Amino acid sequence: MTVAAIFLPLLGAFIAGFFGRWIGDRGAQIVACTGVALAAAFGVTLFVDVALDGHNVTTQLFTWLDAGDLQVQWALRFDTLSATMVAMVTVISTMVHVYSVGYMAHDSSVPRFMAYLSFFTFFMLMLVTADNFLQMFFGWEGVGLCSYLLIGFWYDRPTANAAAIKAFVVNRVGDFGFALGIFAVYALFGSLQFGAVFDAAPNFAHTPFIFLGWQVDALTVTCILLFVGAMGKSAQLGLHTWLPDAMEGPTPVSALIHAATMVTAGVFMVARLSPLFEYAPTALAVVCVIGGSTALFAASIGMAQNDIKRVIAYSTCSQLGYMFFAAGVSAYSAAIFHLMTHAFFKALLFLGAGSVIHAMSGEQDMRKMGGIWRLVPVTYVLMWIGSLALAGIPPFAGYFSKDMILEAAWASGSRVGLYAFWLGIIAAFLTAFYSWRLLFLTFHGKPRADAEVMHHVHESPKVMILPLVVLAAGAIFAGWLGYHDFVGEGRESFWRESILVLPDHASIEAAHHAPAWVGELPFAMGVLGIAVAWIAYIWRPGIPGVVARSLRPLYLFLLNKWYFDELYDALFVRPVMALGVAFWKRGDGAVIDGLGPDGVASVTSRLSVRASRLQTGYLYHYAFVMLIGVVLLVSWYLLRQIGS
Amino acid sequence: MIVQAICFYLFAAITVASGVMVIAARNPVHSVLFLILAFFNAAGLFVLAGAEFLALILVIVYVGAVAVLFLFVVMMLDINFVELRQGALQYLPVGALVGLVLLVELILVFGAWVAGPEVAQSIAAPLPLATNVTNTAALGQLLYTRYVYVFQASGMILLVAMVGAIVLTLRARTDVRKQDINVQVGRRRADTLEIVKVRPRQGV
Amino acid sequence: MNDALPSFVPALPEMFLAASAMVLLVLGAFQRGPHVAREIGWLGVVALAVTAALVMSFGYERKVSLYGMMVTDGFGMFMSVLTLIGAGFAIVMAMRFNEREGVARFEYPVLVLLSTTGMLMMITANDLISLYVGLELQNLALYVIASFQRDQTRSSEAGLKYFVLGALSSGMLLYGASMVYGFAGSTNFDTLAHTLEASNASIGLIIGIVFVAVGLAFKVSAVPFHMWTPDVYEGAPTPATAFFSIAPKTAALALFVRVMIYAFGELVDQWQQIIMAISVASMILGALAAINQRNIKRLMAYSSIGHVGYALIGLAAGTPAGVRGILVYMAIYVFMNIGTFGVILCMRREGRLVEGIEDLAGLARTQPMLAAALAIFMFSMAGIPPLAGFFAKFYIFMAAIDARLFWLAVLGVVTSVVGAYYYVRIVKIMYFDEPKGAFDPGIGREMQAVVLISAMVILFFIVFPSPIVGAAELASATLFPG
Repeated sequence: MTVAAIFLPLLGAFIAGFFGRWIGDRGAQIVACTGVALAAAFGVTLFVDVALDGHNVTTQLFTWLDAGDLQVQWALRFDTLSATMVAMVTVISTMVHVYSVGYMAHDSSVPRFMAYLSFFTFFMLMLVTADNFLQMFFGWEGVGLCSYLLIGFWYDRPTANAAAIKAFVVNRVGDFGFALGIFAVYALFGSLQFGAVFDAAPNFAHTPFIFLGWQVDALTVTCILLFVGAMGKSAQLGLHTWLPDAMEGPTPVSALIHAATMVTAGVFMVARLSPLFEYAPTALAVVCVIGGSTALFAASIGMAQNDIKRVIAYSTCSQLGYMFFAAGVSAYSAAIFHLMTHAFFKALLFLGAGSVIHAMSGEQDMRKMGGIWRLVPVTYVLMWIGSLALAGIPPFAGYFSKDMILEAAWASGSRVGLYAFWLGIIAAFLTAFYSWRLLFLTFHGKPRADAEVMHHVHESPKVMILPLVVLAAGAIFAGWLGYHDFVGEGRESFWRESILVLPDHASIEAAHHAPAWVGELPFAMGVLGIAVAWIAYIWRPGIPGVVARSLRPLYLFLLNKWYFDELYDALFVRPVMALGVAFWKRGDGAVIDGLGPDGVASVTSRLSVRASRLQTGYLYHYAFVMLIGVVLLVSWYLLRQIGS
Repeated sequence: MIVQAICFYLFAAITVASGVMVIAARNPVHSVLFLILAFFNAAGLFVLAGAEFLALILVIVYVGAVAVLFLFVVMMLDINFVELRQGALQYLPVGALVGLVLLVELILVFGAWVAGPEVAQSIAAPLPLATNVTNTAALGQLLYTRYVYVFQASGMILLVAMVGAIVLTLRARTDVRKQDINVQVGRRRADTLEIVKVRPRQGV
Repeated sequence: MNDALPSFVPALPEMFLAASAMVLLVLGAFQRGPHVAREIGWLGVVALAVTAALVMSFGYERKVSLYGMMVTDGFGMFMSVLTLIGAGFAIVMAMRFNEREGVARFEYPVLVLLSTTGMLMMITANDLISLYVGLELQNLALYVIASFQRDQTRSSEAGLKYFVLGALSSGMLLYGASMVYGFAGSTNFDTLAHTLEASNASIGLIIGIVFVAVGLAFKVSAVPFHMWTPDVYEGAPTPATAFFSIAPKTAALALFVRVMIYAFGELVDQWQQIIMAISVASMILGALAAINQRNIKRLMAYSSIGHVGYALIGLAAGTPAGVRGILVYMAIYVFMNIGTFGVILCMRREGRLVEGIEDLAGLARTQPMLAAALAIFMFSMAGIPPLAGFFAKFYIFMAAIDARLFWLAVLGVVTSVVGAYYYVRIVKIMYFDEPKGAFDPGIGREMQAVVLISAMVILFFIVFPSPIVGAAELASATLFPG
């Protein structure tokens, strides 16, 4: 069953991808959806079996590498953590698959799309069920590849291609860190198996390690390197620039990959490696600071964006920041809890946004929407549910998880924890604000689209609405259903050994004893944010314009995403391009080609002309050449004789 | 001995000198005549060495047949050798230099000629010259025993030369009437005659 | 005078071949009929086959006979058989060509047989005299064959050039031989080897060897004594060119190896330098000059110069492995050349023979089988695995490395790369250029067989290398006493 759960999507991808031409669009949709749906059924069953009933299984497939000391197996590791992820991934993936049937109905390469989606699901499952670092890396790179393929799915759009390349390159930076981290792990522990490494981790706490000529704490460096990988994949501050651009891909892709699953791989990785991070408190502090900063930073940008998908993308970025700082204060279970609830409501929001875009004939700019809530009532309601969950309004899912994260951050008592807590509180306000800004701009007010578009506004087909309803159910109920097991009283028996928290890092336990105001504050901020949004966009629609004009520099700063792209462009892209051009034109073109292939070739052909010119056709020339040859040889021997 | 030595140097000098003249003479007929002179002197050297058979063969074959043939050919072809040599003369200085270098080197080599003891031994061994046998008989004995293989092969070379000459020059001429007795004898009446019955007053 | 007529049994192959040549000559002279040349040709092939059987009946054992004039051993057997195979194919390839060109005369196979007789004598020579006589027998026949198309100026010119330069080289060889005789006191290889073992070589002897080597280098067309090759190859009738590039080259190389390794084996340090020099020069010139050629026969001339350069590496190594390398190389070379010339002979458009490389354009579309065969030969010549040509070079370079001639091997590899350019260019022209119109169909069954057989040998050498490599191993051992 474990094997089936993982490999059914691969099978579906294989059939849809390679035989799409024969089985047709409909066939590919059926095959791919069936594959992931079955995988989801198995995934949920496994979740019940493994996480709730406590039967951990590790399925050994076969040996991958056996080179000297390095032995790597293909294995599927099912414990609570991975079972949770498998269930979540397969369920969300199934919803997105079904949704795609409707959303991509008019596209010209449906089989390819379905194949990519299923292929991605397979890699994601490989990632989460990995039993060693290398297999995790395999899945890690695989999802990166699929992300690249799906962002650039409409490869005839230059912007989509650019976004795909950007996503790939930025992820390379992170992956480089991840790879270095894996090397460091191997160098330290001599193994890549999770079990062996985790068992040995306590012995290596405070072990010095020479890195780039500095003597540093081995585990800290290793964990920070690994976290760099997580930052890339999970779009944390600094390596986040690819995520908003990735919205160039089809909306289901944004929902599945760039909201619910792949981007959370970084969080998952930190949780999975909690036995390492726990012994590297400095690394945890770094995780916490980066997470907290990202939460606020991304939320601030989200306020000023006009593209509906970009707003949600920054929201994702921000929520990932929450998860990271939860992990940073050792509240891994809270991070995973939020990950799970977030997967539901963020997928819901994205797919809802997709439904809106679908209704608006492909329009994504919120300034050209408005006043359509009567026309798409179901979508409208679903978007409300998603936004309420996102803003952390009880009893929606986000309330439970986000609250727990903020409480844990406060309760951890460390300075970085408090830093993250306050940033998180502000971000909660901003989150509510931009969420309702989105709702108001999109659904309320006067229609700003032209009559033609308005005339076509319609509710999406059932095949698209149905997954939304399922996700909405998740967004409503996942929080209080999961609270007990994930972060509540039942957490010890639920997580068991899949997550390690040292006793003096027990922030969850402390969170349960936090003062009441800590729990109430995020809720209050959320309500406040909604209120402010209502004032600014419904009651007094003139305010945003006034604010933007009076605080023009700040507005531009936010609108331009803190000028990160420009900074990177100036700092990395242009110098590297210049260097590349220099190497290409001067180094490769002039020097290597000039001296090497071209030079040698031209010298050769010139010599060739000369050599064939020797052949004059005159007999006495020929005889003469022979004679010269003789004289040379004879002279050579005579001179040698005289010399010796 | 003195006479022999004088004769040797005389013959040798004339051979070399006429050899040079073969190349240097402007008139090709002169060249051939010098060649004949060189052959004669070489024959003289053979006589001095006691190989009178070879000397006479040289005179008869080379002078009597080959050189005379040459002479005829040269006279008949009427080739303008001066014109032919024009291109070659252009490179004379370089050619002369290379030739000179080679000459000097060879002189150096021969100047250092020291025959080792084993060498003298092996030279003596393969020549079973019996004093009581004539020159001709001795040659014959060697040619048909020790060197029979290469002697026969030389015959093959001559055969090839003959075949080659025929291949390259013989043309079956079709424009001449030749008597072929086989054809004449083998002719049948049916080949040439057709009996036609001609009825009167009807024509053929 | 106790010399007696020696036993001629060891010379049986040569005698049989010469006798059958003469019989065929007489037969041809008295035979009338349109197909007399073809019939004589097939009889000649039969004679060659019988000769090969006779040669092989002697086995690998080394035996000196005929007063030391000749030697039969494994080395001679290997090279003789190779030469005979080459000659046989040359006769077969010439049949159709001669008929079409109007020079179908029975003398052609007869001359090939006579020339081959000379080659066998060269290969089995154990004395400078028999060497020279065999060489001249071979050469004289070759001169005639070169100008066989006597009505064409360039054929006559080729024959004449070959003759004059050949005479010059023969002169040098004789001069060298006389010096060797003068300084070492013998022309017999055994005696020479013996004498050299006992005492140091004088400078005169070494200069004599230089002259002998020059004469032999001319025969194998090694640089700088190669000047005749392109002109003669281009001018001579194509089947004659094929013959030149196969049989005489094999025989001359065999002679070269025997003289150097066996007779002057003691002086390997001395002559190694000559061989290396001409080997390097041949490889470089063969690779460079071929690039610029437009005529495929001329290209093959430079190609053969280059191949001789590689083979000479094996000689320069002066080891059994080197000689084995040469044997394997020549065996494969013979088949590559047979096949390539077989294809060239099929290059006929509207009844006329075309020789330009550009004329091959688009051959892959008009005659795919022919193109595929030529591609195989070209890749093999370039030394691309898994074709036989790769192994040929492989054995040679291995021998060079074992003999610590690293730079020679490196240079060999570099020039192979340059050489690959023009071989692969032919493939490119055949497969990627616009077709220039098909060649005349109906290349004849015997040509199909020729091309097919050689392609099979080149292709499947990797599967069954042992017949050639094993025989070469045994044969090379016989050249090294003790």
